[in-house]
Amino acid sequence: MPPLRPISSASVDSSRLERLLRDLGSQVRRGTLPALPPPRCPTGIAGIDGLLGGGFPRGHLSEVAGAASSGRTALALGLLAEATRAGEIVAVVDAADAFNAASAAAAGAALERVLWVRAPHVRAALRSVERLLEARGFPLVLVDLVGREARDACSPTVWSRLARAAAGAQAALVLLAGRRLAGTSAELALEMQPRRACFVGTPALLEELEVQAVLARTRSGLCGAAGRAASVRLHVLGSAA
Amino acid sequence: MRIACLLAADLPLAAVLRAQPELAGLPLAIVSGVGPRAQVIAISAEAARAGVRPTSSVVHARSICPALRVRVASPALERAACETLLDVARSFSPRVAAAPRCSGVYAAEAAVYLDASGVESLFRSEGGFAAAIATRACTAGIPAVATVASSRGVSLLAARCIARGLPQGAQNARGSGDKSTHEPQGTDTVLVLAPAEEATFLDPLPIDLLDPEDVLAEALTRFGIRRVGELTRLPRRSLVTRLGPGALRLLALAHGEKDAVPLPSATETRVEEGVDLEWPIENLEPLSFVLRGLLTRLAERLELRGLVCGDLDLELRLAGGGCDTRRIGVSAPHGDPRTLLGVLRLALEHPLPRAAVEGIALATEGRPVRTDQLDLFRPAGPTPSALGRTLAELEALCGSERIGAPLLVDDPHPDAFAQSPFALPRSALKTETAPRPGVAIAALRALRPPVPAEVRAPRGRPEWIRSAVANGPIVGLAGPWRTTGGWWSPERRFAFDSFDARTGDGNVVRLRFDLVHGVWQVDAMYD
Repeated sequence: MPPLRPISSASVDSSRLERLLRDLGSQVRRGTLPALPPPRCPTGIAGIDGLLGGGFPRGHLSEVAGAASSGRTALALGLLAEATRAGEIVAVVDAADAFNAASAAAAGAALERVLWVRAPHVRAALRSVERLLEARGFPLVLVDLVGREARDACSPTVWSRLARAAAGAQAALVLLAGRRLAGTSAELALEMQPRRACFVGTPALLEELEVQAVLARTRSGLCGAAGRAASVRLHVLGSAA
Repeated sequence: MRIACLLAADLPLAAVLRAQPELAGLPLAIVSGVGPRAQVIAISAEAARAGVRPTSSVVHARSICPALRVRVASPALERAACETLLDVARSFSPRVAAAPRCSGVYAAEAAVYLDASGVESLFRSEGGFAAAIATRACTAGIPAVATVASSRGVSLLAARCIARGLPQGAQNARGSGDKSTHEPQGTDTVLVLAPAEEATFLDPLPIDLLDPEDVLAEALTRFGIRRVGELTRLPRRSLVTRLGPGALRLLALAHGEKDAVPLPSATETRVEEGVDLEWPIENLEPLSFVLRGLLTRLAERLELRGLVCGDLDLELRLAGGGCDTRRIGVSAPHGDPRTLLGVLRLALEHPLPRAAVEGIALATEGRPVRTDQLDLFRPAGPTPSALGRTLAELEALCGSERIGAPLLVDDPHPDAFAQSPFALPRSALKTETAPRPGVAIAALRALRPPVPAEVRAPRGRPEWIRSAVANGPIVGLAGPWRTTGGWWSPERRFAFDSFDARTGDGNVVRLRFDLVHGVWQVDAMYD
């Protein structure tokens, strides 16, 4: 039996290869890697997940902006709930010091999987975000800058730096603010608008808030075209609770 | 039983060089105190070559060697160096003990004993074991010699012998016996004595190596006894009768008698580092440089024992007397000195030490390195070490009381909230979460502290509000819900009537009337 020899390019007869390719015709093609869509962080709110094509994309900076009572926090807690129920460890950098554990638990979040960083000011918050992204292993980092003057506290380049860090960590970095801050560094921007608050019964009870989410910006078309909107009803579990 | 001895012959010099490695290779003298009349107690080889001798004064030493660097001996540094030797020993053997410090000519040496039984299976030979100990001690900043013998006394004598460069005993021992037991041939920091060679080795050694008391040494000199062998040949009973019980200890050493008490097992996990400053430090920035060195050495020692840094106990000795003692929490144990320095700096900034700092002592309880068992059914989170470092960095940025996992508190007060130390959950399968509601839930945003509000409530129900977060007429209202508690304490007593209110500017807020203080507040917003 002749000894086995490694196959090298020199040992392939090019004329035979060409003949083989001609015989097989269209059955043989050059292989290509399919372009996989980035993994998503769903919010658990059907209307918004539908608008975003499944949720906030990982590896990108996204922002959620809007007025008070427009559903920004409900959306953020939905993100937390979905991620923690999937067994992920998530981080909330809370420069507004507004995180409500009872609301998060009611939304279904596993609180022991949430790292809550109560940053005393915006600069500390942004530096904390950078540290968290550098640590790797936090697939979702929420930054709550609502009510904080972030635009004055940091330079515009900070957002591109954070977007790069999010891409490196393959984490969804979601920024909550009163207005859009990240500019062109954001992969997508969702603008939330309050619609109405529904009081029912006698004595009256606050039953639900109706809000509207508008996809104000998508940079690379990951989430479809900008300008689309979805209406969402947020149920109130009861103030007495 | 085989005993190894790790001996640092010149501890004051080694301690200073460990803390200030930039002085290595320079003529250096360690002196007993500040001022020109202080006595030189230890010198580096470069200083000795320049002609400086111990026991001379600083002025005299400087006149001989103008380039001489002078440092004051620091008991804190020496203690830490001694402990480092112990840590090196513990990194090899669970049974270690520090030798009692001597006086007189051997006052500068520090020695530790290790159980070296059965080390051949790990290090091929006892010589390899001794070489590994000596190398690790040198890496830890303490140049030391290592010996292996049958008892503590003989191993110590052998270590003193090679530390002082006494060639005859060492060569005798190396020259005889099986070569395989003397692996590091030609090294001057390692010596292994086989049991059969010990008597031959001890015989020609000078009697001074036994460190006799002054009276005893004088008597032995008077008798004309200068070698260990001459001492062992004397009748024991007569010697003790003439020289007293001190001679018994000398005879036991000279005969190489085995130790009656076994070496203890090490259970101590506390690690301490310290430094006495020659000049008081007033500002935080230069203090940070000193702290950085302390933390680096602390982390290195912990690493030797396979531990990481837990909570830090910092003690600052202040100028004019007094002490500033602080306990600095490190929620996630880790061993990164840079991050620990950030935590220390933050703790020192609030409040600053009330006077200049003259001495620093830093201690920690070593914690085992956190491990994490990967789970097939759980996404890979941050590694425990990366998480520990990140948590420490976040604490340095935001403060330790601001980092953690949110906790549901069993407290009726609407403003109550809590955080627990964050740790990686053990298993996803054991996680208990509230069932996911089938609908989207409106969230509450807490306002900490509550925002004062000016409210018009002509019939007890709010109709108009002015505050920093909501303004205008109230167009929708639900409530009130009364919450009370703390009735047993005037300070903690509270009573609130809470309302859900939608204001004219579109905000939906939780408004409350504080019945105790008679004020309106907005304590949360629906969002």
